Amino acid sequence: MKCKLMLDRYLQMKNWIKITLVFAFLMFNLAGMAQKQRFPKPEFGTGYSQPTPVTPEPRALALEYTDVVVLLIVLSLASWFAIRKRSRKGLLWLSVFTLLYFGFYRNGCICSIGSIQNVSLTLFDPGYAISITTLLFFLLPLIFTLYFGRTFCAGACPLGAMQDLLIIKPLSLPEWLRKTLGVIPYLYLTFAILFAATGTDFIICRYDPFVGIFRMDAEFHMVVLGIAFILMGMFVARPYCRFLCPYGVLLNWMSRFSKYHLSITPAACIQCKLCSDSCPFDAIDYPTDEKQSKNTKWGVNRFLVYALLIPLWIFIGGFAGSKAHTWISKANPTVYLAELLLSKPEVRNDQKNLDVQAFLSSGKSLETLVKEATVIRQKFYSGGWIAGGFIGLVIGMTLLGQVVYRKKNDYQPHKGNCFSCGRCMNFCPVKK
Amino acid sequence: MEPENKLKFSLNIALVSGIFCITVALLLLLNFMQMSKNKPLESKALTSLVKRLSQEPNSDELKQEIRNFDLLARKAYFNSQWQVKTGGYLLLFGAIVFALSLRVFIGLKSKIEEPDVKDENDLTSRIMTQRWVMITGSVMIVLGLVASFASVDHLQKYDVNESLAETKSIDNQDKVEVIKVGEIPNATQPAIADSTKKLVAGNTAKVDTSKVKATLVAATKITFPGSNAIKVNASSFRGPFGNGVFFQKGTPVEWDAASGKNVIWKTSVPKKGFNSPVIWGNKLFLSGADQQSREVYCFDCNSGKVLWKQPVDNITGSPATMPKVTEDTGFAASSLTTDGNKVYAIFANGDIICFDMDGNRVWARNLGLPDNHYGHASSLVMWKDKVYIQYDTNKSRKLIALNASTGETVWETARKGKISWASPILADINGKFQVVLSTDPMVAGYDAESGKELWSVDCLSGEVGPSPASGGGLIFAANEYAKLVAIDPSKNSKVWESDEFLPEVASPVTANGLLFIATSYGVLACYDAKSGVKYWSKEEGPGYYSSPVIADNKLYTFDTSGKMRVYDMAKEAKLLGEGNAAEKVTTTPAFANARMYLRTSNFLYCVGKK
Repeated sequence: MKCKLMLDRYLQMKNWIKITLVFAFLMFNLAGMAQKQRFPKPEFGTGYSQPTPVTPEPRALALEYTDVVVLLIVLSLASWFAIRKRSRKGLLWLSVFTLLYFGFYRNGCICSIGSIQNVSLTLFDPGYAISITTLLFFLLPLIFTLYFGRTFCAGACPLGAMQDLLIIKPLSLPEWLRKTLGVIPYLYLTFAILFAATGTDFIICRYDPFVGIFRMDAEFHMVVLGIAFILMGMFVARPYCRFLCPYGVLLNWMSRFSKYHLSITPAACIQCKLCSDSCPFDAIDYPTDEKQSKNTKWGVNRFLVYALLIPLWIFIGGFAGSKAHTWISKANPTVYLAELLLSKPEVRNDQKNLDVQAFLSSGKSLETLVKEATVIRQKFYSGGWIAGGFIGLVIGMTLLGQVVYRKKNDYQPHKGNCFSCGRCMNFCPVKK
Repeated sequence: MEPENKLKFSLNIALVSGIFCITVALLLLLNFMQMSKNKPLESKALTSLVKRLSQEPNSDELKQEIRNFDLLARKAYFNSQWQVKTGGYLLLFGAIVFALSLRVFIGLKSKIEEPDVKDENDLTSRIMTQRWVMITGSVMIVLGLVASFASVDHLQKYDVNESLAETKSIDNQDKVEVIKVGEIPNATQPAIADSTKKLVAGNTAKVDTSKVKATLVAATKITFPGSNAIKVNASSFRGPFGNGVFFQKGTPVEWDAASGKNVIWKTSVPKKGFNSPVIWGNKLFLSGADQQSREVYCFDCNSGKVLWKQPVDNITGSPATMPKVTEDTGFAASSLTTDGNKVYAIFANGDIICFDMDGNRVWARNLGLPDNHYGHASSLVMWKDKVYIQYDTNKSRKLIALNASTGETVWETARKGKISWASPILADINGKFQVVLSTDPMVAGYDAESGKELWSVDCLSGEVGPSPASGGGLIFAANEYAKLVAIDPSKNSKVWESDEFLPEVASPVTANGLLFIATSYGVLACYDAKSGVKYWSKEEGPGYYSSPVIADNKLYTFDTSGKMRVYDMAKEAKLLGEGNAAEKVTTTPAFANARMYLRTSNFLYCVGKK
């Protein structure tokens, strides 16, 4: 009775609790904006000489290695909790630690997700040398995933930890929606690599929705995006990890081949179905429906059509990508500036346009700028073919995947999509 | 702890932490609003004190009072910053406690339910997935193609324009439309001592050419004015020799366009142009142009009536369409020049034309479409029988001397450096005239006769707009983001330099050992010309595009709002008078006959004592 009363109170409170959360995070934004204000210099001489700005010292190398060691330990513990110890509680507290250390203490940087861009840039720009720390942050989670599944997502990713801790009432999404939205991470990965390789921008870092919360300081639109992800994450679990994370694409690939992966049951599945609703990420594969998979004629025909269409998807994708290169390349600051100066020469008089004023004060000629921009645009043209072709391949392969049936007898985590969070283990009545 | 108690406890924690979060958030919001509303440095008290300081610049007591106010404002500001930061952390802590307690509460409330029956048909779901993935792929491809059609490749266009400009430039070299002129005597003429003496161009005769009908000058004998005659007129942009100093007396120090005070006449100019008036005798010359046509105007200095107006057309090699220019440069930014015999005008498309004082066309040619991203803006200057053109484009930099009588190229000196929008001046160095040019990176002097580079000092950078100035044996040059330098041309070296106040458009001017700089952000500064010691600076008005000039031993300035301020040529700032055009002014006034002539955005004014 007492419990029922409390439930009623809880339901009454539910609405204002949600409002409170929205409001609280909105305030982070206001705090951030206020901190962005700058105080002008005094208008008269005071005898104080303004110090010359210097580039801040990089983080000490020893501390950088400490980060790598911490990542290694966290990855090891996460794998141990998921595979050997089978402890959801252990993974939960590990993700709390990750959130505090890699999130709030390290301000969301360095991060394995963003390291994709450093790796891309170092591959395409001989003038850029990647640090060993960044390379290890990129490689270690992939290596661990290849052996133990996505334990990085379970306990070592601050972005995943933040979303995971804020799951309140997860809803199950229909498969068609999940698969369609699942194309977005491939797109994001493609653009992230294209932009990094052309020296345009590190879009993963720029549009990281949570880094503003970690740093307590962000642009308005990024705070709004962060809040939107957190609110969405209360009902659609880990939306960033599932439908945006570009590193998740690589982890998904690795995890499919993982040697030791988390399993729902430690022994034989007794088909009790208790775990069927346990995964907030819809990452549990159900046993194959024999009746449906037997419709072979339909499946074979479609398989052949989709297989033959893959080269066409690649070509059309590449063609569209190459055609769009002019538009996409405008994201590059050099191309944008050159285009701006050529299309709107009057912008030179706009004292508030700092990019233009900085260019004018640099003494560089427009001709040189245009030459630089043309070289970058040419890179986008080649990159457009590759990126478009890759996206075409993803579409083709996703379609093909839909007509391939793999026989499953038990309830199993999907090796590619499972974050190894261990929730399902708690629902399994088989303990030994 | 009993599960029910745990439930109750977690709920209470959530409740308390939620209220805490709201309270902190509200306080932060209030703090933020207060910080946004009250800008400490814009307080009335401080503004009033700063205003007083401008009137009493040497008051130490006032300075101390401002410092105290300033310190107080800073303390308040940083205190607010601290509050925001601390509040942010408190809010974060509260939110973490709130989230954890809520999770515990929900965890305790959850129970294992009967498994749901899978209601999703696998085959239907797969078909639906295929449909949506195909739609997604198709949409992305269509978006890619739409993006390609919707975007314009300006970089590609730039290449086309460049090659076009280059080709035309080569093709049009030395193509002179009208070359038939009378016998040109030795241009070396004695200086004319009497400034009022009229210089006559001789007889005119009309002949037909294959393409155009033009009036040719059959000059039997042309006399070119000496420096004394030039000094009493306003023959070029910024007066005699382009140096910014007018040798006039009794020029007005007060006027008002709105009330008509001291306005002798006011007239509109048919076509738009940012060139400044040039005057010889009673004739004032301007040009105007738009996309369709170009014109040269001659006004009567006494009445403001248009004496003649001539089109600039039918010029061999002139491009069919005008080049792209910025709105504040226009197609007629270059001021004309005159020697009292003829008047010469240049336009943004490379057309250069010569009329006699009665508006008869003497010669015209096109110098090649200038590849100039603002538009050609360098004004003309002349000495003896040569018209000097600083013809800078993105492709090449040249100093060209044209034969004033025929328009033929006498010599052409290719210059290093980058494109510049400054105008050439003529500087008397050791008794011989040099053409002095400012550009990035150098200020250089060229022999006015041969075009040979005599000296060059690397000291500027960026896109140079201000022209140099000459005085006391030194050359002064400046540019925003670069430096203000004084150069000794005889030693080919810098004498002093400064980077405190730098002009963007307005040129420096010097006389009586003083040097004046007017910046585009509204600072007028006075320096000792020899040592570079700053005597004074004043920040007034929105900024200066109009170059400061000296007339009747007074400094005339016009800010962009049209406000004129006249200062004494002294080591301390002393305002002698004010005027107001009540509209935008970016051109430089000219002085002649004890009057001031000013072109505003819409009108041409004659200002003088009525």
